[in-house]
Parts: sequence; C-alpha cells; structure tokens
Amino acid sequence: MESEQNPIFEECARVTHHDALAAQQFVLRLSAPECARHAKAGNFLHLQCDPQRALRRPFSIMRCDPAAGWVEVLYKIVGQGSAELAARKSGDMLQCLGPVGNTFRVHENTTHPLLLGGGVGIPPMIFLAETLRGNPGLHPLAILGSEIPFPFPTRPSKILAPDVPKEVIAAMPLLDDWGIASRLTSLQGYPGCFHGYVHELAERWFLNLDHAAQKGVQVFACGPNRMLEAVSEFCRRHALPCQVCLEEYMACAVGGCAGCVVPYRENNRMVAMKRVCVDGPVFNAASIF
Amino acid sequence: MSDDHRFKVEFCGLQLSSPLVLLSGCVGFGEEYTRIQGFSNRDVGAICLKGTTLEPRLGNAPHRLAETTDGMLNAIGLQNPGVEAVVQEILPSLDFSQTRFIANVSGSTVEEYREVTRRFDDSPIDAIEINISCPNVKEGGVAFGNDPEMSARVVEACRAVTQKPLITKLSPNQTDIRHNAKRCIEAGSDAFAVINTVMGMAIDVETRQPVLHNNQGGLSGPAIKPIALLKVHEVYQVCKPHKIPIIGQGGIVHTNDAIEFLIAGATAVGIGTGLFYDPLCCQKITRGMAEYLDNTGLSHVNAVTGSLEMHTDATEYT
Ligand SMILES: Cc1cc2nc3c(=O)[nH]c(=O)nc-3n(C[C@H](O)[C@H](O)[C@H](O)COP(=O)(O)OP(=O)(O)OC[C@H]3O[C@@H](n4cnc5c(N)ncnc54)[C@H](O)[C@@H]3O)c2cc1C
Ligand SMILES: Cc1cc2nc3c(=O)[nH]c(=O)nc-3n(C[C@H](O)[C@H](O)[C@H](O)COP(=O)(O)O)c2cc1C
Ligand code: FES
Repeated sequence: MESEQNPIFEECARVTHHDALAAQQFVLRLSAPECARHAKAGNFLHLQCDPQRALRRPFSIMRCDPAAGWVEVLYKIVGQGSAELAARKSGDMLQCLGPVGNTFRVHENTTHPLLLGGGVGIPPMIFLAETLRGNPGLHPLAILGSEIPFPFPTRPSKILAPDVPKEVIAAMPLLDDWGIASRLTSLQGYPGCFHGYVHELAERWFLNLDHAAQKGVQVFACGPNRMLEAVSEFCRRHALPCQVCLEEYMACAVGGCAGCVVPYRENNRMVAMKRVCVDGPVFNAASIF
Repeated sequence: MSDDHRFKVEFCGLQLSSPLVLLSGCVGFGEEYTRIQGFSNRDVGAICLKGTTLEPRLGNAPHRLAETTDGMLNAIGLQNPGVEAVVQEILPSLDFSQTRFIANVSGSTVEEYREVTRRFDDSPIDAIEINISCPNVKEGGVAFGNDPEMSARVVEACRAVTQKPLITKLSPNQTDIRHNAKRCIEAGSDAFAVINTVMGMAIDVETRQPVLHNNQGGLSGPAIKPIALLKVHEVYQVCKPHKIPIIGQGGIVHTNDAIEFLIAGATAVGIGTGLFYDPLCCQKITRGMAEYLDNTGLSHVNAVTGSLEMHTDATEYT
C-alpha cells in the first residue's frame, strides 16, 4: 500500500445532524466542504472533541457529499473523548483535520469485492461500497457484524446472494438501495442474521462460489483486531488478497510524531514500524497479521 | 516568512525570522505538517528535526502514546532512519530558504553522540541540538541528562567535532538544573533548550498494565508548563552573564504561554504538543504576540526576554 501525500485541511466544521442510535452509537454529520471534496474510502477525520484535550480523536469517514459539502462519521462512546463528542449539538462548531490516510485499492482483476465490517469498523466499508456502486463488472458483497444493535434498522434484503446460506437474509437498507448485496452477522440472535462471526460467513460464501468467481475475490476489512486477525487467517488459507483498515492511538495524524505505528512485516520478518495515520490506515493484511 | 522585524531574533549566531521553533519529535523531518493547507514552515524561525542516531532504529512497540490531564505521554523510542540517511536523503529535500533546520542528536554512548554530530557537521544543517535525555547504556541506563557530569561529557565530545551552533536540551528530571547548565556551558554549549519531557506513567485500570508498552514515557503539554517556566527562569540566571540564549518549551499552546516563557528568560520558544491541539497554532500565537507588543508598547520581542519582575519581598511569615 502507498502512503498518502494529498493535501489535508483544517476546517472549523459545523454540526448539521447528530443522531443518537442504539447502544451509545451516533451518526455525526459535519459541514466541512474541503474534507467532503477530497475524501476517499479509507480516509479518516481527526476531530477535536474538546479544545482542552491534547489529542484529537480519529474517526473513519462513512459518507460524504462533495457537492453539498458534508462528511459523516459513525461512532460509539468508549471513553471521555467520544462522550464529549456525543454532547455536541446541531449548530455547534468543531475543529476537524482531514481527510487523512490512504485508501482501499480495488485490483483490476477483482470481480467479487468482499467487504467485511465489524462494529464501528463498518463505516469505511460503507464508503467503499458507495464507490463500487453501479460498476457493472463488480459483484460486491458486504458482510457486517455487530454484537450490539446495528447502527441502522435491518430488513430482509431485496438483493439475492445465492452463495450465502438461505436463512441469512438481514441486510443494511442503504446498501440495498445502492444495489449492493449485504448480509449481517451476530451472536446475539438478531432476526435474519447469521449466527456467528463475519469471517465465518465469509468463508461459507467463498466456498460456495464457483472457481472462476473465487479467483476474482478481493477482501477489505475493518473492525476489532481479533476480527482482522481471523479474516487475515481466512484469506491466507485461500490465498486471497486482503486489505485491512487499522486503528492505533494518534497525536498529530500527519506523520510527524511516529506515535501511531504498527509493526510491519515482509516475508515473515518485521522490517519497519509504519505510521497508521499516513502509511495507513489501510494495509495489506499479510504485512500486519 | 514573518516579515515583522519585531520578531527577528538572533539565536547563537542564527538569524531567526520568528522566535517560534517547532520541536523535535513532533514534526517528523520537517515536511510532514506542510501537507496541511495554511501551514507553512515560513511561519516559524526554526524546526528541530526528529531525534537522530548513528544507525537506523525501529523504536518502541505500540502503544507509544497516552493522553493525560492537560497533556500526553510519549515513548516513541527514537525511531529514525539513521544519520547517514538523514543527511543523504532528507536534508537535500528540505527548503532551507523557508526557515532554519536544527538536527536533534541522540545516542546511547558518548561516542555515538560524537559521531552523529560529526556527520551533521558536514551537512547543510543550521545548528545541532543535543538530546541528552537518552539512556546511557554503558552506565546503567540512567539518562545522560540526569547527571551534570555525564551531560558535560556529551557536550564536550560534540563540541570537539563541530563549529556549528550547539544547543543542549536540558532534562527536568534532575536535582539542580542550574548546575547542569553551568557544566554544559563550560563544556562548550552555545545555547539551551529547556525543558525536555518529564518522565511519567499512565495505567489502564482494567488490564492493570501501563498504557505505554515501554511502561514509562515523557510527559509534555500544558501539564508541564509551570515546571518548564521555573526551569527556564533558573537556567536564565546562569546563562545571562554569558549571553547564552534559551529555547523555552513545555506546554505552549496559546500566545500567553509563549510570552510567559519569553518573560522567564527565553529568547525563542518551542511548540510541540501544541500542534496536536491545533496544527495551525503558530500563526495564532504570532498574531497574539504582535498584539501584545502593540498593547505594551514594546518595540521588539527581545525586550520581553527576561523581563520578569520577581517579588523581592517573598518571605514566609513565621
Ligand atoms: C483510523 C481510525 C479510524 C477510526 N474510526 C472509527 C469509527 O469510524 N468509529 C468509531 O467509533 N471509532 C473509530 N476509531 C476509534 C476511535 O478513534 C476511538 O474509539 C476513540 O479515539 C476513543 O476515544 P475516547 O476518548 O472516547 O476513548 P478513551 O479510551 O478514553 O481514549 C483514550 C486515548 O486512547 C485513544 N484510543 C482509545 N481507543 C482507540 C482506538 N480504538 N483507536 C485509536 N485510538 C484509541 C484515544 O484516541 C485517546 O487518545 C477509529 C480509530 C482510528 C485510528
Ligand atoms: C511525540 C513526541 C516525540 C518527541 N521526540 C523527541 C525527540 O526525538 N528528541 C527530543 O529531544 N525531544 C523529543 N520530544 C520532546 C519535545 O521536543 C519537547 O521538548 C517536549 O515535548 C516539551 O514541549 P511541548 O510541551 O511543547 O511538547 C518529543 C515530544 C513528543 C510529544
Ligand atoms: S499520529 Fe503522529 S505519526 Fe501518526
């Protein structure tokens, strides 16, 4: 994967929508025209939750509208910074640095992009799905997992996914509307969802594909490290190309402090410490796990 | 470049267009922040590059950062590509017409400090800052900078191999910073950076482990500002007779923070963690300092340096 060198903007962004969802999850829409204009799938925003905080908080861009000038993130309260963010109301201003980071790269010979999102790792998969919309050569499938209520109403999919077990029908409506097949997984017994983990449904689907389709699979994943490890292992078993979107604590988010690194391997040997903010957040899975 | 003549300062032979200096370890090798629209290296008088060692180093395992009240801890561990790569590959790509670039020399032995300095001496770098806060591997791993004699030995070794301005970056983690400063002046230091980070720890109550993989790290940001101000004041007393200048640093985020350091005795002021709060803070601080000069009627920032009026009747009632 390549490091990113595109311009980054510091914008004083206005909160235009802030919707509280189940289980302390929120969708925050910011008016930030430059971030919206330059955002690509995989990029994130570095948000000032409170001016008194030394460190901003990184959040993946879920959607953007370059024409209307907004960007959207989906986040969950996990600590003080995200709790302060949740207190922001429509009309509030907040400092927003972005878009930061590299992007997912869909290979030329890919026919079946497989998008795997776990929990608050779902947002970059939605952005990636949007970029794949309406591409006649591609047959994407998004598998999204959550152990807390999904941050959207779920409903039976209108799009067939013949290689997924029949009873697994729950989908994300937005992706359905975009014509992109999606299926949901959880251990919580939510209706229509696959009972198991994201990578388990992914493997079932993959094994049901015919040989030609299998050759065109490329995997993209974002979620907790345990999930990404399992996904990488599944991809290794089947020699599938896989890109993962990582998280690490950040200070500068522009590559200046080397605070956000992850050990990076080549041929099973640790060769470098890569900065998640600018060398990532998207990496080839084989170099990380 | 700031063209306000009131901000032009002379710093141990370097002509700085502004007293603002970007601090080592926070701004990579000088170009990373320039991707931010509206950020320019011209807005500061100098930039201290990332700590550089003789050989490439990968640095510490993550997590390397932890946020704390009014600041943060870092334990990066001197990740850098080694002095040869810095001189051969990085320095040629820097635009020396925009600002002054200062190398930050680090090492595990006195010999390593000397060799890194020698290599930078034969390069276009404008000045050399010695980061004496690294552990001395030959003598039990105590940081050189915690001990005046070890500090002086490092300075002496570096002085012997360069004519470039030599700035010693003093550690707050010691008993008497004044004595250390004295010894470093005798050893040939041209200037000081005061202070480096204060050692600290953050603990995760759930895992009962330190947040940093290195267990401990350096505290920076507003949390250390009062400590830093006192240290600058103390070192200034030692430096004043020798006309040795100080880059005051530790927790500068806003204009008044910078001005406090100038008043305490700093000729230049450093910004590190402040950039994490606000990557465009330098322009705001510069504007604020201009207003301060306007309002106070002072004609130049030099007039602010060391203008502290101590309480002379500071006695304790018994
Ligand atoms: C590139 C990237 C994209 C992300 N996208 C999303 C997203 O779309 N939605 C979402 O809910 N979360 C996302 N995260 C995680 C999010 O940044 C953390 O949940 C958030 O920083 C927690 O802050 P806090 O103050 O609430 O938590 P605390 O635990 O109190 O935070 C303490 C410190 O640790 C850091 N920290 C804690 N957990 C994480 C983490 N997982 N990743 C990075 N830093 C962490 C914080 O930034 C802060 O500096 C992303 C992280 C990265 C690096
Ligand atoms: C992430 C980070 C990395 C740092 N790396 C170095 C370094 O390599 N060499 C050094 O001399 N100081 C290093 N420092 C210390 C800073 O240069 C500065 O002296 C200190 O942080 C105090 O200033 P501040 O509060 O404005 O950040 C580092 C600080 C931070 C926050
Ligand atoms: S957060 Fe500073 S290098 Fe990534």
